[in-house]
Amino acid sequence: MRLLVTGSAIRGLPVVTIDGGEDVAEVRDLIYNPEAGRVVGLTLNKRGFLSGRRREVLPAEKIHAIGSDAVMVDDENSLMLPDAAPDEVTGAPSERDVTGNEVLTEQGTSLGKVKDVVVLVGSAGEVVGYEIETSSGGTGYIPLPSQLAVSGTALVVPDPTQDFVESDLVGLGAAVDEFRSRLGMP
Amino acid sequence: MSERFSAAQGRRLVSRTSAEDLGDLTHLVVDVAQRQVTLLVAGKGRKAVLVDWDQVSGFGPDAVMVADEGALHAARDDHESAAADGKLELIGRRVLSDAGENLGELSDVEFDPATGAVEALVIGDREVPAASLRGAGSYAVVVTASTSPGPSDPGP
Repeated sequence: MRLLVTGSAIRGLPVVTIDGGEDVAEVRDLIYNPEAGRVVGLTLNKRGFLSGRRREVLPAEKIHAIGSDAVMVDDENSLMLPDAAPDEVTGAPSERDVTGNEVLTEQGTSLGKVKDVVVLVGSAGEVVGYEIETSSGGTGYIPLPSQLAVSGTALVVPDPTQDFVESDLVGLGAAVDEFRSRLGMP
Repeated sequence: MSERFSAAQGRRLVSRTSAEDLGDLTHLVVDVAQRQVTLLVAGKGRKAVLVDWDQVSGFGPDAVMVADEGALHAARDDHESAAADGKLELIGRRVLSDAGENLGELSDVEFDPATGAVEALVIGDREVPAASLRGAGSYAVVVTASTSPGPSDPGP
């Protein structure tokens, strides 16, 4: 059983220092690398009402954990100016946006369109699934293998994914491990 | 016997040398790195005065005995000003695990009245050992996730 959270639930979370107990920023957006299947970093806003954007980014390797209630970092030095951050964090975000992409199985069945990423709680940004809008118009959740083909308009997932379309995050949390073992993943 | 912050608050401070009443205890200030009570605050607002823990000669059940009136001092720096204003009070503060989970409100702190050493944090009806305390600030008290129930371990 895994505890999972959608990208939209991560946006707006406070970024809190472990040593200082201070909310130093809040999450503006996720920087997602779909080929690698992980969040490579977070863009940030200042805390508080009418708060503007912060120039700094939070690279994934500086994230202690993404939780349901906060993103934890060791200290404020974890926030880095774009010049100092790794290239994968500051690269063009448009190439990486999978939102709206059609999800196709290898056999050519469409499972729906990507709405959001699903992140493993407690990790530094491991994406274990997608929230999708199913062809019937409902919301579903599918598990992901660690890597998959992404074109920018569609992504191809293994056929067994079809058997693991879950109606909620709890169901997906329970299905992730079985899905991965079916695919022979560690 | 350990003592709780909630029980100690309101206890009177008394000078050991003159037996004068020096005011009522309003806050105990913890040094997170040392896990130790380092400062006592008596009174509120502009009347607040501070006493260093090492000037406490006896933290008793009915009174906190202080060496003498000379041990009372005003805030000497920003940290102590914040303490005098009650801004460093831990009780009531949000508790986060270092995995980013909200564990509830800090309801009490247990400490050893002989040494000032913090022994445990009380979160709702649960207790976590002082060793799990990682940090404390204006937003939250942070504790190690392994001491909290639930999904702190994402598994293999």
